[in-house]
Amino acid sequence: MKYVLRAIPLLLFGAVGVVLIVFWLFGIPWRVGGAPQQPVDFWHTIHVQVVRMDCLFCHRGADQGAAATVPAVEQCMFCHSVITGSGQAGAEIAKVRAVWAQQQPIDWIRVHQMPDHVRFAHEPHVRAGYQCATCHGDVGSMQTVTQVRSLRMGDCVSCHKANNGPTDCFKCHY
Amino acid sequence: MTLTRREFLQAVAASTAGAVAFTGCAAPGSVREFQIQSSARLPESTLPGQDSWYASLYRDGGAGLGVIVRIVNGRAQKLEGNPDYPVNLGRLSARAQAAVQELYHPDRLAGPLRLSGVRGSGQFQAISWEEGLNELVRQLRDLAGRNQAGSALLVMESERGHRALLAERFARSYGAQLAKFEPLDRRASVREATRRVFGFDQIPEFDVAGARYVLSFGADFLGTWLSPVHYGWAYGQLRQGWPDTRGRLVQVEPRMSQTGSVADEWVPVQPGAEGILALSIAQALAASGKADQRALAALTGNAGAAALDAFNPESTASVTGVSAEHVTRIARELGEVRPALVIGGDAAGAHTNGTLNLVAIYALNLLVGNVGAAGGIRPNPPSPLTDLSQPAPSASFADWRRLLDDMRGGRVNLLMVHRANPVYGLPAAIDPREAVGRVPFVVSFSSFMDETTAMADLVLPDHHFLEDWGDDVPDPGPGYQIVGFQQPVVVPQLNTRSFANLLLTVANELGGEVARALPWGSLKDALQQAAQELRGLNRGSVPAGGVEAYWTSLLQQGGWWDTASAGAPPEAGGTARLPTQPPLPAFEGTAQEYPFFLHVFPSAALGTGEMAHLPWLQGLPDPNTTVVWRTWVEVNPKTAADLSLTEGDVVAVESPAGSIQAPVYVYPAIRPDVVAMPLGQGHTAYGRYASNRGANPLDILAPRSDAETGTLAWAATRVRLRKTGERLTRLPKFEGNVTPFVPENIPMVLKPGQQEAH
Repeated sequence: MKYVLRAIPLLLFGAVGVVLIVFWLFGIPWRVGGAPQQPVDFWHTIHVQVVRMDCLFCHRGADQGAAATVPAVEQCMFCHSVITGSGQAGAEIAKVRAVWAQQQPIDWIRVHQMPDHVRFAHEPHVRAGYQCATCHGDVGSMQTVTQVRSLRMGDCVSCHKANNGPTDCFKCHY
Repeated sequence: MTLTRREFLQAVAASTAGAVAFTGCAAPGSVREFQIQSSARLPESTLPGQDSWYASLYRDGGAGLGVIVRIVNGRAQKLEGNPDYPVNLGRLSARAQAAVQELYHPDRLAGPLRLSGVRGSGQFQAISWEEGLNELVRQLRDLAGRNQAGSALLVMESERGHRALLAERFARSYGAQLAKFEPLDRRASVREATRRVFGFDQIPEFDVAGARYVLSFGADFLGTWLSPVHYGWAYGQLRQGWPDTRGRLVQVEPRMSQTGSVADEWVPVQPGAEGILALSIAQALAASGKADQRALAALTGNAGAAALDAFNPESTASVTGVSAEHVTRIARELGEVRPALVIGGDAAGAHTNGTLNLVAIYALNLLVGNVGAAGGIRPNPPSPLTDLSQPAPSASFADWRRLLDDMRGGRVNLLMVHRANPVYGLPAAIDPREAVGRVPFVVSFSSFMDETTAMADLVLPDHHFLEDWGDDVPDPGPGYQIVGFQQPVVVPQLNTRSFANLLLTVANELGGEVARALPWGSLKDALQQAAQELRGLNRGSVPAGGVEAYWTSLLQQGGWWDTASAGAPPEAGGTARLPTQPPLPAFEGTAQEYPFFLHVFPSAALGTGEMAHLPWLQGLPDPNTTVVWRTWVEVNPKTAADLSLTEGDVVAVESPAGSIQAPVYVYPAIRPDVVAMPLGQGHTAYGRYASNRGANPLDILAPRSDAETGTLAWAATRVRLRKTGERLTRLPKFEGNVTPFVPENIPMVLKPGQQEAH
């Protein structure tokens, strides 16, 4: 009995250690659960593959500044003041129209976020010609957006090194 | 079961590791951190998180500063000075910085109101703009229909630019009276003096920047007088702009102001004797042969230096409190250093002999021959927009007494008030509240429930300046022509309407003469027309271009100016003559009963009370005393010792006109026979931060006025101090309360034999 009791904390410790090692080896993002449930179930699939909208049409800041930004509800209403949809899609569109009627904002759960000590700017990357999909994956085929690349420092630096990008610390940490 | 120490430690280690590792599995503790918001609406030109800067104007108590406003996501975040605007050249005052707090103030009136209870009860009900406008039009039509248009009175601040033009034309065409309210009449007294001495229509540019010697009588030009931000920049030039010397500043005043605290010399003159001191300096200048002979002849009616004999420094020393040696030395410096500049204002002009004082002071400039020259008195040319050149002057204190009598006598049936608070800002001795209470119908266009608005029957709140159009011809200008432009930088936050547009709408409704006098659809239209006029001049700072391009460039810059358009001194010059006998001041109260002169001054943060609703400014330490959030009375240390007063003792300051209470602040830089109090507090309305805080010295001011112009003689009151027995445990001030942190085991001062701790 004594040996079983003594083993429990060691087993726990071991299990945690295994999990940590696996995470590290597979580069799994630190935040577990990468596809959060959004207040409105927005499908990129329809908008990109069917309507064939460009990323920059909504994420207007990507070639202009640091943040790619999400569009205002007003922008959704450009089309959805007319397109009401049907079925489950209709229900989600109705949510957006209700929010607009109340002149309220939509608070999305962020999927991609850098820690506070990293300053990432979209503009130089987009202007250099890199596709959004390079870091964000094939968002056009995602019903719910998930993070597919680790986007940890090693990930960034290896790509910078391979493409003659700056590797000076102060480029991103200032 | 027994637990060994080793097992315990292992268990602890495992639990800790697990605790740390598994926090990653939980949802983030603060959900907010991982949210990103889609605003409901955002203009297409705006990106979230990106800022844009727009140029506009901020009035700042009449200085007229150019500002640039940082807008992020449609919200105004910060004001900075417009680096190109000639008045302030990128600098800004604390009051202007706080103006953005006014935009989002919780006490801003959200929409039109109608009085629903008894006047003064504070009971209002919200109404629609249609109802409000209809009511106003109805009142105006009724009066006009009964041939009583002259019993309508429009009161506004000392407005300039197109807003003033619209109001003046409205009043003139309708037949109403117009009265501009300038607290303390400070500009009016300077304007009269410079007109008499130099023949100018406008307040000139006092070229502090170009001078090597500045002698200022009472004018707190670095604090609150006329255009302090501009003079602040100029002061830097005075001190450090010369390669060979550091410019010199001498400040003459009974109580050391902000300007006095940076001056090389502070001369504590007897209150009211500033003119005699100036004449004394003139006599010494003339006697030493340093005075300009032609000017001396003109000022003395060709009698020459002999006319000033009564003012020789020995005879005037007892009256002015300044010794003969001191006067002679100042006169010598003034005579030798070039360029030299003499200015005067504030308390020096606030006596019953105020105009005479200022005339004597400004005449010194003629004697040193600096008119029209660099470092001297530079005239401001009239505006290229002739309509805006001569805004109606503000009503003097004498005019206000007459107006209040009219109100009491039933000769004012409709009172409309815009950006003025006469119920608070006029001395209580003439009882403005009671007079306004007699007016049958009062309309206020204020954004805040101030004392005057609390007496209103109808409130039609105006936009904040950041939400509105406008323009300005700065007074005093920088010595050349300038027209500043103000543009809205945020969407109106509340259900308010621009006062100027309201006037235009009302004029349109009234029709006839009034509608013809105000042909524009909106203030913006009037401004665009003015811009076209400026474009037609083919000169100035805005690059030439098509109509649209010119308008855009004009707004980007914040205005139009032409540095080449300097004003010329008028041929005729001034008509002033120096007196041969001393111009003596009169005071309310006898020296026996009221031993002290009361010196009130506009507070650096709160001005004359119009900024008391902003907590940022309430919390701004006074530059001389560091007191915040209340009124205080400054007492000389010797006086305090004689009266057994210490800091924090609450005294009643009693004048023949009334009594208020304030805590004592022992202030060494004040004459022993003078006590000083800041203006700005003592509001009974005006929001949560201003109400019922401190005391209003205007409540005890004697209703005296300048003998020549009728402006308020706000330095002509004598007071006595009476201990109330109460004291504050601690006066809320910054100085002396921030003690250095001293850990007990590391002493700041080592006693002999003590070793330093490591």
